[in-house]
Amino acid sequence: MRVKQILYLLLREAGIGLALILMVIAFSAAAPRFASMANVTNILTQISINTVISVGMTFVILLGGIDLSVGSVLALATIVGGMIITNENLSPGTAILLSVLGSALTGCLCGVFNGVVCERWKIHSFIVTLGMLNIARGAALQISNSRTISEFPDAFNDVGAATIFGVPVIFLIALAVVLAGRFILARTVFGRMIYAIGNNEEAVRLSGHDPSVYKVVAFIVCGGMVGVAAIIYMMRLNIASPILGVGFELNAIAAVVIGGTSMSGGKGSMIGTLLGASIMGVLNNGLLLLGMGDFARQMVTGLIIVVAVIIDKYRAQAFLRSSYELAPAPPREEPHLRDTGPGPRV
Amino acid sequence: MNTKCRASCAALPILALLAVGGGGSSARAEEKKPVVGLVMKSLANEFFKSMEEGARKFAAEDGTFTLVPVGMNSETDIDTQISAMENFITQKVDLICVAPADSVGLVAPVKKAIKAGITVVNFDVKLDDKALAKAGLKDLVFVGPDNREGAYLAGNELAKKLGKGGKVFIIEGNPGADNAKMRKAGFEKAAKEGGLKVLVSRTAHWETEEANTLVTNLLTSHPDVQGIMAANDSMALGVVKALDAAGKSGKVQVVGFDNIPAIQKLVKDGKVLATIDQFGPEMAANCIKTGFRMKKGEHLKGWLKTPVKLITATDLM
Repeated sequence: MRVKQILYLLLREAGIGLALILMVIAFSAAAPRFASMANVTNILTQISINTVISVGMTFVILLGGIDLSVGSVLALATIVGGMIITNENLSPGTAILLSVLGSALTGCLCGVFNGVVCERWKIHSFIVTLGMLNIARGAALQISNSRTISEFPDAFNDVGAATIFGVPVIFLIALAVVLAGRFILARTVFGRMIYAIGNNEEAVRLSGHDPSVYKVVAFIVCGGMVGVAAIIYMMRLNIASPILGVGFELNAIAAVVIGGTSMSGGKGSMIGTLLGASIMGVLNNGLLLLGMGDFARQMVTGLIIVVAVIIDKYRAQAFLRSSYELAPAPPREEPHLRDTGPGPRV
Repeated sequence: MNTKCRASCAALPILALLAVGGGGSSARAEEKKPVVGLVMKSLANEFFKSMEEGARKFAAEDGTFTLVPVGMNSETDIDTQISAMENFITQKVDLICVAPADSVGLVAPVKKAIKAGITVVNFDVKLDDKALAKAGLKDLVFVGPDNREGAYLAGNELAKKLGKGGKVFIIEGNPGADNAKMRKAGFEKAAKEGGLKVLVSRTAHWETEEANTLVTNLLTSHPDVQGIMAANDSMALGVVKALDAAGKSGKVQVVGFDNIPAIQKLVKDGKVLATIDQFGPEMAANCIKTGFRMKKGEHLKGWLKTPVKLITATDLM
């Protein structure tokens, strides 16, 4: 079964990237003007916000948690940033700097709340962040009095529209965030601990590490990423609004899961998340260029999310099987101890 | 519980006094102000927030009645509105003003309130004519703007600017929302009369970011578009950013709806051709005034239209 083996290998190595490539080829053939530089620029612009949020979400999901508050926190962070940046007592330069700091800090503080409450009282993140979803939305509406804030400094708005050789600057920011996230996950103690906790929290505890600290930090990172996404949002659309970002948490979760990260934690990668967000963006753009109607588009997008996860199931199986069938398999370790990194190996 | 007890205890002697007073109605009116229940849509929406503030301001200035406004969490939160109606019926308020989130779903509680002897006035979004007729409430008073007419005015302005054969997009609101349907119908009517060609009509769910993404992508497949009709200003903001990015702002004409503060600068700069003001802050107040006129015995029925006004750069100078 040579062909089958090659197929397994491809699935294992490329998986979701392959799906993206196939999708791009299909749309290029079928949708007029899909494969133009201008359209590529558009897609990259459109996936930037979701990508950055999804990077933060990846940390939390790798731990087996979830953050439902990202959409609301995004709105709150834009309101804080927007109120600072439109403050007339500040010079434009100072206003921009403080606004960026304010947005990022707002996101981090919401993350502190999420993480600390989850860990101090051992409550599942689903319910804590559901609470935060309402707290942040309410706070955004309260402090803005449900008004949209606009008229930011030109220097700030220009960044959102700028491109370098057709690549939007805000996408470069998103890409930098992805690479930083990848570095943290793959190369730092913190990153390896995230995988280890997601695989087997008890084992980590028994090996003498306190998982709580890492979990709280992961929520803060997620909140901080939302703060960064808020700045990108403001740069791109030049408004801050308390009602924006509704449902963004679902887009982020979808991107992370399509990217191959397991909802039960311990398995996944940052590059996968970037590819997941790209698939969502390409799909949205391509189906529209094909002239598909609103309702059909919504159905197809939903279907693709499910199909992606089914494919990923096969990928996981292929991964296991190929390690039996191909190559002289290395001595297998117990899965939950595989990634404990610098921790003491049992 | 405790304070409630005390309050009713305190109310007892007053009631006794009133009973002794017999027909002394002027004294009674001073003791107990009429209560007005205001059932609003989502206060997260700038438009409804300003409407609620307008009603509060009116209540404070007028001083002859007590206002109890109830908002809801989201545009589609019909349950909250129905519960609010039921609570008002239980409390036996004197007047209910309702801006329905669903033009069919709210007919039943309105009927219940009227049966309980409460004056009900519908505002902002008209309850469904068929459902009203079925419930025997054909003549229920509605105070509100004609969304269709507003969209028609904006669309017409665009048609005048583009001339016959102009190619346009329609960016719709939430599919299923009544005002979204009306506005779409108004745009379509203007397009038909003005000889405009509607290239595509798609929803962006009233959202800035979604409208931005949508229009950016639509510009790729239809680069020849000359005008865009957005069913609200939040979406028009996203549309303008999409045109900016494509280097087409000012070349492609945009019309919006609602006249929110954030859009006004764009209208002045010529990036948005026109928007529609439907005078939200006064609408709820007008509804309350109408309710009291009815309570005083004035016989009103059907649709009492509130103004819609086309806003162009000259209006904002």
